[in-house]
Amino acid sequence: MGDERRRFDEIFLPHLDAAYNLARWILQNDQDAQDVVQEAYIRAFKGFHGFRGENGRAWLLTIVRNAAYTWFNKRASDQKWVPYVEEKHAEIISIDQSASEHRVEKQKEDLRGALERLPPEFREVIILYEIEGLSYKELALSLGVPVGTVMSRLSRARRRLREEFAQVKTRRAANGL
Amino acid sequence: MDCDEVSRLLDAYIDGELDETARPEIQKHLDSCPDCREEADRIAGFSSLVRATLPMYKAPAELKAKIRASLREASAPESHWLFRLRRPLIYAAAILVLGFVLASAFRTYGPHRNQELISQAIANHACSLMVDHLVDVTSSDRQIVRPWFNGKLDYSPPVADLAQEGYTLVGGRIDMLDKRPVAAIVYRHGSQVINVFVWPVANRKIDLDVQSDRGYHFCGWNQAGLNYFCISAATAEDIEKFEDEFRDHLNL
Repeated sequence: MGDERRRFDEIFLPHLDAAYNLARWILQNDQDAQDVVQEAYIRAFKGFHGFRGENGRAWLLTIVRNAAYTWFNKRASDQKWVPYVEEKHAEIISIDQSASEHRVEKQKEDLRGALERLPPEFREVIILYEIEGLSYKELALSLGVPVGTVMSRLSRARRRLREEFAQVKTRRAANGL
Repeated sequence: MDCDEVSRLLDAYIDGELDETARPEIQKHLDSCPDCREEADRIAGFSSLVRATLPMYKAPAELKAKIRASLREASAPESHWLFRLRRPLIYAAAILVLGFVLASAFRTYGPHRNQELISQAIANHACSLMVDHLVDVTSSDRQIVRPWFNGKLDYSPPVADLAQEGYTLVGGRIDMLDKRPVAAIVYRHGSQVINVFVWPVANRKIDLDVQSDRGYHFCGWNQAGLNYFCISAATAEDIEKFEDEFRDHLNL
């Protein structure tokens, strides 16, 4: 194994969970996310000589989201939009949970359901900003758009997520769960 | 600034991403507008809720192995050279010439020194299997093996626990290599014994791709000031995998 490969492993393998989480949220499917992350690591390795030692996590995540969109475009022609199916995301809650744990679990599940309802460009900006903590500037580089666009996209994504979250909650309350 | 303008900039304001000229104006507006203040609180509150409760997906264990396998393929010498050759021809020619010069220099100076090391490592490995002297300290617990080296060597070799990856720690012993006493850490993988020699980088760093000699496979690398050399009768692929896992544990 060469030194280059070792340096690559040391910098990028620790970010595997972040890479997978992003791909999984964009693609909403385990197998696709795995394929895309694998492809992204190969791309990253082949472009490693262009890496200047800046934020490795942001650099890798950019490649992951680009690989995810390549995947989207490739599949777009032969795949129809699949409507959201409630049962598929139904959550199994064990009965012996304490009341507060129960509430937190429900909130998690509601939030997951709400984010799943957003379009992918909103999902990714939420993950990259709120979870991965990229700055607006890093987001602009990663998404390939001006900072002004980042500003308005993140703002709209948050608003939509908040609305969906409220709706999911209301619906659950109406169902008496 | 009216409420519409403020609303457009409110997220950036809360995130601390707004430039210094616009900040005071937003602040002034918020001081006098309860509606926008309330909205600002909602945005900030929801943002912390998302950070605290959004479920994260963890990469499945098999994904790391798959990535490693495809990286091994991608970093194989053939594709590496093809990749380089995509650059303009003149550079390619220059690189080739340089390559020949380096290759002949390497042939003259490099392998002899490594050859000595390799022969000694092979002898050590074979010896450890033949006579009843595989380990001086027998334990599958790294907390026992690691301290055993204290006082016997002037450095502290890291001992990785690779049981979950299928490599059972057998123990450790002291061996001679590179003209000095070195730590030998012994693992068992199936029926194969793997010796890992560890010693400080003094005047040369070890960097050997997986090679084969006399039926053994071995490779070497350096990491955080220490040289590592692992050898076994296992397959080349097994040895490379072992190196991956071992290095990975050291990075943790």
